[in-house]
Amino acid sequence: MKLHQKPVLSFFRGCRTQAPDREGILLKKGTRNTSYQRRWFILRGNLLFYLENQADHTPLGLILLENSQVEPRLGATEPYAFTILTPRAEGTGGRAYKLAAENQEELGAWLWALAGASWRRLVVLLPPLEARYRELCQAAGKEPSSPPEDCGFLATLSTPYSFQELHEHFGKEIRVLQMVRRRPQASPNGSRSQVEEEQELNSC
Amino acid sequence: MRYNEKELQALSRQPAELAAELGMRGPKKGSVLKRRLVKLVVNFLFYFRTDEAEPVGALLLERCRVTQEEPSGFSISFMEDPERKYHFECCSEEQCQEWMGALRRASYEFMRRSLIFYRNEIQKMTGKDPLEQFGISEEARFQLGGLKA
Repeated sequence: MKLHQKPVLSFFRGCRTQAPDREGILLKKGTRNTSYQRRWFILRGNLLFYLENQADHTPLGLILLENSQVEPRLGATEPYAFTILTPRAEGTGGRAYKLAAENQEELGAWLWALAGASWRRLVVLLPPLEARYRELCQAAGKEPSSPPEDCGFLATLSTPYSFQELHEHFGKEIRVLQMVRRRPQASPNGSRSQVEEEQELNSC
Repeated sequence: MRYNEKELQALSRQPAELAAELGMRGPKKGSVLKRRLVKLVVNFLFYFRTDEAEPVGALLLERCRVTQEEPSGFSISFMEDPERKYHFECCSEEQCQEWMGALRRASYEFMRRSLIFYRNEIQKMTGKDPLEQFGISEEARFQLGGLKA
């Protein structure tokens, strides 16, 4: 079976300006070479990427976390060790990725982040929130609006996308990002300024 | 980039959001339309030859755009390469709309953005954080301002 790599790499690279769910160094036990190797791990959604070095353009590998189990591993040669057990097709036990964090705090943080990583978990949270939102809008006599699209520019740009158009769009996005970074710290009502920033970015 | 094929196979056997036999044509020039069993599982689209148990391939549905293509089809393209399209033919306008809606909702990033959007809107209207009742208001994945310094 072929996993089309371009969409995955495009996702990986496209998200690099956005903070991932978690990232950092973890030790990973090799399969052939059974020593632990230092790798940079990036968790985004239900996907766990690992890189040889933090700044690498292409990940070394990808671990699919949907329906996987994450457990601390006691009695391992490395302290702060844990296992990600991914499901196998035949249900006869999955692939076990043997990993280790660098300290207790990192171990705890990774276990917590990985435990919450599944798509299915997210999908059950949405309907009650959407319903509540619509309920509140109705009570307030307000027209409900939709969450922001994947990337505002694709909704308005017509095909084919010329280099000029892409160049202009990304230039605009970079200017907004620069503006956001230069902005002084949050106003007293922190969440409001964050929402404004988000809205500005989404209108690119 | 390495990945474990068995993990992908296991995922392809999980309950699907949507599954149907559709016409499918790859992005390369001169690709021919083929009948495939197309199966949407979480944020992955698997496609099988109609009589086989193992998928031929899988597409990750993140940062992608789903566009209607006349007469009753749609295409999927990926943000960094919008000219490169995977084409699908449905048997009716209705089926086409159903698939387009499901594919757009399939992205983890889309769901996350939606969740953050509703959370903020509800908080603005009620003064309360709706995620507190779920005990997840502190989770990094649901915070705004996800840009690196």
